[in-house]
Amino acid sequence: MTPSAVSIVNVTKSFGEKFALRDVSLELAAGTFNVLLGPSGSGKTTLLRCLAGIERPTAGTITIGDQVVCSDHTVVGPEKRHLSMVFQDYALWPHLTVRQNVGYPLASSKWSKTERAARVNDLLERVGIAHLAERYPNELSGGEQQRVALARALSADVGLILFDEPLSNLDADRREQLRIEIATLTRESGATAVYITHDQSEAFALADRVGVLRSGQLVQFGTPEEIYQRPADAFVAHFTGVSGEFAVERFTRQTEELVEVTLPFAPEHRIVASVPQPLADGAPASLFVRAAGVALSEQAGEDGLHGTVLDAAFTGRGYEHVVELAPRMTLTKVFSERRFERGTAVGLTLDPRSCFLMLNENERN
Amino acid sequence: MSLPQSPRRLGQRPITRTFVTRSLRTLRPRVRLGSITVWVVLLLLIVIPVGGFLLVAVSPRLFNVGPQWFTLSTIRTTFTGYTRKGILDSLFVATLASLIAVTVATTLAWLVQRTNIWGRRVWSGAMWLLLLVPTWMTTLGWIDVIQPGELGTAVGIHTLFLYHHFFGPDGIVFVLSTAALPFSYFVISVAMRGLGSEFEDAARVHGASRWRTIRTVLPIIAPALLSAFAISFAESMSDFGVAFTLGSAAHFPIATYVLFNAIYSFPANFQVAAVIAAVLILSTIPPVYLQSRVMRGRSFAVLSGRSKGVRRHQFSTKMRVLVTIGVALVMFLVLGLPLLGAVASSFTNTASLVTPTGIHWTLAAYRQVFSTPPSFTPLGPPLLTSNELGLITATITAVLALVLAKRLASRTSGLAQRIMDSFLLGSVAVPGIVLGIGYIFFYDQRFITEHVIDLYETMPLLIMGLVASATPGQARLLTGPVAQLQSTMSEAARVHGASRFRTWRTTTMPLLSRAVVWAWLLTFTKTISELAIAQILYQPGHEPVSVDIETYLGTIFATIGSAATVLTLVEMLGVIVLVLGLYRLVTPGGWRRLGEARNA
Repeated sequence: MTPSAVSIVNVTKSFGEKFALRDVSLELAAGTFNVLLGPSGSGKTTLLRCLAGIERPTAGTITIGDQVVCSDHTVVGPEKRHLSMVFQDYALWPHLTVRQNVGYPLASSKWSKTERAARVNDLLERVGIAHLAERYPNELSGGEQQRVALARALSADVGLILFDEPLSNLDADRREQLRIEIATLTRESGATAVYITHDQSEAFALADRVGVLRSGQLVQFGTPEEIYQRPADAFVAHFTGVSGEFAVERFTRQTEELVEVTLPFAPEHRIVASVPQPLADGAPASLFVRAAGVALSEQAGEDGLHGTVLDAAFTGRGYEHVVELAPRMTLTKVFSERRFERGTAVGLTLDPRSCFLMLNENERN
Repeated sequence: MSLPQSPRRLGQRPITRTFVTRSLRTLRPRVRLGSITVWVVLLLLIVIPVGGFLLVAVSPRLFNVGPQWFTLSTIRTTFTGYTRKGILDSLFVATLASLIAVTVATTLAWLVQRTNIWGRRVWSGAMWLLLLVPTWMTTLGWIDVIQPGELGTAVGIHTLFLYHHFFGPDGIVFVLSTAALPFSYFVISVAMRGLGSEFEDAARVHGASRWRTIRTVLPIIAPALLSAFAISFAESMSDFGVAFTLGSAAHFPIATYVLFNAIYSFPANFQVAAVIAAVLILSTIPPVYLQSRVMRGRSFAVLSGRSKGVRRHQFSTKMRVLVTIGVALVMFLVLGLPLLGAVASSFTNTASLVTPTGIHWTLAAYRQVFSTPPSFTPLGPPLLTSNELGLITATITAVLALVLAKRLASRTSGLAQRIMDSFLLGSVAVPGIVLGIGYIFFYDQRFITEHVIDLYETMPLLIMGLVASATPGQARLLTGPVAQLQSTMSEAARVHGASRFRTWRTTTMPLLSRAVVWAWLLTFTKTISELAIAQILYQPGHEPVSVDIETYLGTIFATIGSAATVLTLVEMLGVIVLVLGLYRLVTPGGWRRLGEARNA
């Protein structure tokens, strides 16, 4: 099956007076793995259901491959969109065995019975549940059920596969394992993938492209690196992980993309930060610091910043610290291979590439 | 007991569709055709006949049964004398019977669900059987036990004292309690099963005594207890079988029988009947609503999902033997004994079981039941009629109830859905006798028979009444399984290429099949044993079996009545076994595992 490009143009969906999606436009290249990231209520599930044909948009056009599946005049039923889907609750049919569940999408294909059986066996082998083929869903663990759902989605050999937060019900170990399998098997299938999640690390690990949604609107769409290094606004920065956010007293430009920042609680220090989006001089701004760009030391760093360790948590490969810079001004998840005890005075060094100066979120709203 | 025949109306006209088409034209286009159809069906089946009949209480002129356009005098007269006594008697026996049923059911449910007594599946099965046995059968069975000269006498017990008590409030409360017992038992059993052991454990580890633990844990199932009481009360208030078989002879009038008498006395008093009908409905609505409100906020499924497996209380061997014998005795008393009485009586052909020359066992009653004794109808044709009625009613009800259940279970709780929910809840509280009389009253109106359709004393009207009676309850019963069906089940099928029909055939139908089969069986058996609507709406010459058996009561042909009762019960059980057997044979293994998995 040829992978399907997807075009979403000005899609709006409202439930009564409440808008779940507002004018969302998105172009997904064929064969790419796309992740829609957003908090609860951001509209990502609604967008996925509109793509699947389970929900009908109030307005807008959706094209899958060269088929317009939804417009003001056309609505193509889910079964004719040539896609498959992995549901959050797995949606396995409890009265069918694993083999029957996986083979379900093939029933309406033109394949012979032998070919279908071979494909089902092959898929069960690939997702590692061939030995469970004759079991019923309620006899499987959560991880095994999700593998069945994945195999079912892959069995259809379609151009587009949708994933509705498929890992959200699994524990951390299984989530990691299945994430890798989803990434590998989906890419092997060659299909275009649309995957929704609220977990930024999952999104970055899986995606070729990430779209960030907020309150029914697409805020940013780009590669994981673009999203992480050049967030469109404070919301995206926050949602993709910041260690701390501090209102800025004043800033002076060094270059077009670098500024020197002064924080109210440390007026004697200068912090160099990048400006990922245009920002007018004198505009009310905040400094956003990613945890990855903070280094701890026993003495004050080049920026002269220092603080006190409030907490240190062992994470296996090192320690994550909470450091207080001033009363109620903290940086969280600051990593160090060595442990700094609670109450210890530490120096901090900030990497300008992990420090963003952006318009205050409140101002943007 | 046969009913006076009403004169046939003349001037029958073909069915017109004026009402339907006019409604469709005037409604806003966004209102769906399906919704309109459902509401039209419900209006014709329940709202208009029952509502019209109730209006007579205050506006007799509206239907030409009195001179006044508006009056409250009938309401005042109804609450005096005999009718007042009937209403108060009903409230008294229904309350007492419900309290007894809930108490016994709680004890039995705890013993069966939460202890290690023997024969737990047998006792649960016996409860199903008790649910299927109508009150008039139980009453006739008991008469065959305690009437002097019957089974009691045969085993050497002097039953005259019991016999006198049976024909009075004691007997009525007893039979109504046994009838309400399975309803309470099933509601409380679900709660007991869902109540994980951790609640008991938490109480015990924090120092609670055994008694304090019970007091702590019982409020968790309080909604189920209230629910059980509400259902038992509504069932007892609206019961007609006991009223008809026992109430009249007991000189202890109860409301349903007084209502029946008001219509079938001469001249018929529709106004008083309408007031009693309103009282019956009003008295059963509050407990049914209370139950609904209480259950709405408390999902036992959620409790069950989070709870650990139920740990059974382990009786010592001695206690286990004693308790099991106790449960067996209770079940024998409420179910075994009346059935045994009917069976014993059916194998004799004498005026009483015990005669001066001993007991004469014979199969004569079973032979006679299929022959034609003078002035009596043989069992064959009525049994066939009842089976036809059961088949048609159960099938229509299953379809209609499924459609309604789907609407009720819909995630979008719009105004129309809330209205339908309240309406169906209210309809559950409409006793069969009120429906029957509402039908006979409304569909016999001259403007209907002469200008719309003459359904009076026809089989379609009886079927309509039976469907109207069964649908609200079955719709609410099916709402549970339909609501449990995650929407992603069918969404997954559609997304993976299945058409609407294939989605329904391969996902929805298998997942609901067991519930629908049980709804069908329950409606089928209840239709065969139904007495109130059948007695009022049957087509002359085509008596259903329940009406036919009633004609033997208190006559020298009573043994034939017993044989007919036994055969009817056996036939009903036979159909259940046959249908479940067929279901097992024709459905794939996965379909049948669903219920088992849920029970595990």
